[in-house]
Amino acid sequence: MIKIFNVAYKNLLRKKARSGLTIIGIALAAWVLVSLLGFNKGYESSLNRDIDNLGFQMIVTAKGCPYEAATLMLKGGTGLRYMPQTITEQISKEPEVEEVTAMLMQAVFDPNKGESGGYSAYLGVDPATFPQMKSFLEFKQGNWFTNPEAMEAVLGYEAAELEQREVGDLLLITEKNVEVKVVGILKRTGTQDDGTIFLPLKAVQKIFGIKDELTGIGIKVKKDANIAQFEEKMYKLPDVQVVSLAQVKQTIMTLVSTAKVMVFSIALIAILISVVGVINTILMSVMERLQEIGILKAMGATAWDIFKLIWLETLILCISGGIIGTALAMATAKLTEVMIRQLLPYAPSGGLVQINSALVILTFGVVILIGLLSGVYPSWKAGRVRPLEAIRSQVE
Amino acid sequence: MLGVTMMKTISLMFWAAAVLLIPAELLLAAVGCDLNDPDRDVARLFPGSTGYKTNYVAIDQKGGPPLLAQIEDRLGDKFQGLFETIDVPYTLYEVFKGKDKIGYIHGVNEKGQYGGIQVFVVLDLEGVIKNFYFQKLTSRYGKELRDPKFGEQFVGLTLKDFYNYDVQTGKTSGPSGVERIKNPVPEAQPDFKAALRGAKKNLILVDEFILGNKYLQYHKAGGEQKK
Repeated sequence: MIKIFNVAYKNLLRKKARSGLTIIGIALAAWVLVSLLGFNKGYESSLNRDIDNLGFQMIVTAKGCPYEAATLMLKGGTGLRYMPQTITEQISKEPEVEEVTAMLMQAVFDPNKGESGGYSAYLGVDPATFPQMKSFLEFKQGNWFTNPEAMEAVLGYEAAELEQREVGDLLLITEKNVEVKVVGILKRTGTQDDGTIFLPLKAVQKIFGIKDELTGIGIKVKKDANIAQFEEKMYKLPDVQVVSLAQVKQTIMTLVSTAKVMVFSIALIAILISVVGVINTILMSVMERLQEIGILKAMGATAWDIFKLIWLETLILCISGGIIGTALAMATAKLTEVMIRQLLPYAPSGGLVQINSALVILTFGVVILIGLLSGVYPSWKAGRVRPLEAIRSQVE
Repeated sequence: MLGVTMMKTISLMFWAAAVLLIPAELLLAAVGCDLNDPDRDVARLFPGSTGYKTNYVAIDQKGGPPLLAQIEDRLGDKFQGLFETIDVPYTLYEVFKGKDKIGYIHGVNEKGQYGGIQVFVVLDLEGVIKNFYFQKLTSRYGKELRDPKFGEQFVGLTLKDFYNYDVQTGKTSGPSGVERIKNPVPEAQPDFKAALRGAKKNLILVDEFILGNKYLQYHKAGGEQKK
């Protein structure tokens, strides 16, 4: 076997340029395959993580226009109506619920923001439950509130950057003329939290004179719970509406699946091109060496020996291309990600291209399969060569 | 033979890829200070203008730490805190009337008492202030500070007028055009000081980025006098 390998290897060396170009072709196909599959995996898991990082899978808001509810969930805007705080206890008693957190969003008009004024929004959160639910939030400076009624604020990174605030600084709620002290600056998360100013729920209720009322309740559902059934239960509550991230996630995933078909189509085209390239190269090589193959057979080589030799040459080309392509894909994963982010600025946060060992093994499997399949016809053709005819044809 | 060549090619590919790898942190750089609505704001701040060109300049790209040190020296204060950093991209608008360049608009973020202040200056080609504008100001005395009369006090001043103004103490040493700028409300002193620091920083950056350090000679002369 080692001898056959050496012969096959040396045969490839005889036409370096052609062998090199074929390897590059296979490497490019492998690069495209690994990068596309890695992107597919990375995008899906980043999207999942971003949705999970919201901390809760469901938001219950006071009944009103569903677009306001969606805005509250996605953009952190204000809800138009309020619901009693007692609903929180009612919801937390449901068996599907792991945790709930009460929220009150308020906004004030600041006439000195921009040319014609602008709104500043404040999200009142329950210090006992919100930080636990959003345990992925990390602090650049400081920490959460010192007590549940403190006139203190925690700022998302972008909110702090815009307001140029650091821990110990004051923040003015203009319309109410109330000062709050900044006690924490969050690190960037890539989510809506970056632009949010958090205050203790009770402080917001006190500042804005809203007693025992909320604009939203975040619900973390148990992992094994039937979300659809639980949603139905929530809809039965009076004067509330439910915005479920499970629905949003499902819709996004349907869109992602459509994109997946495109991705796999491109990968399939790349594979087909490389298969045709390999067949062409090996077939050309066989036709050029007909006389040589004829002599080998005349010296006693069987059809199977010739078949193995040509097949091995194909495999060497494919495996070399596979190694280079996979290495290239791994080395340029970050660059690919940067380029994707340029094209898709609203792509989910985190690693968009995830190349793991399973993906590498899969790619090698595909590349070896390409080698085996594309080598069959040229090898079979070489094995069927009749020695005398082959030798004579070259002499003539 | 091919094996060696192939290994060389692979290692070259690895190095090329390594050089091209860009840290993800670069995607999360600091933010600058842009006009909220440049089409509207440029026309309003620079009457008679017909167009503008937007340029982005950062100290780390323009000259790195030595440039930062020079800017801090001219300002008379260190860049401070989480957000006043070397990588902040400053947005400089070159303003045109037809094909002729007629001036500049530049804004900076400054830390105020209760929030971020965005200080914009409108300059002619010589670096003389033609207009002063707070795009954003969170203050109990926002109304007074945003009054056009307050901004008018800056008109006609250049960076030369700010050199004798100490941004840390808020006092002037020697003749300074800044003396004519009066705080409309004594209680607004922290934001008043921040506005003057923002204006001085703004003028220094424009001088460094686009005026070719035209006003550096006055800083050096001032430094020599102090010695």
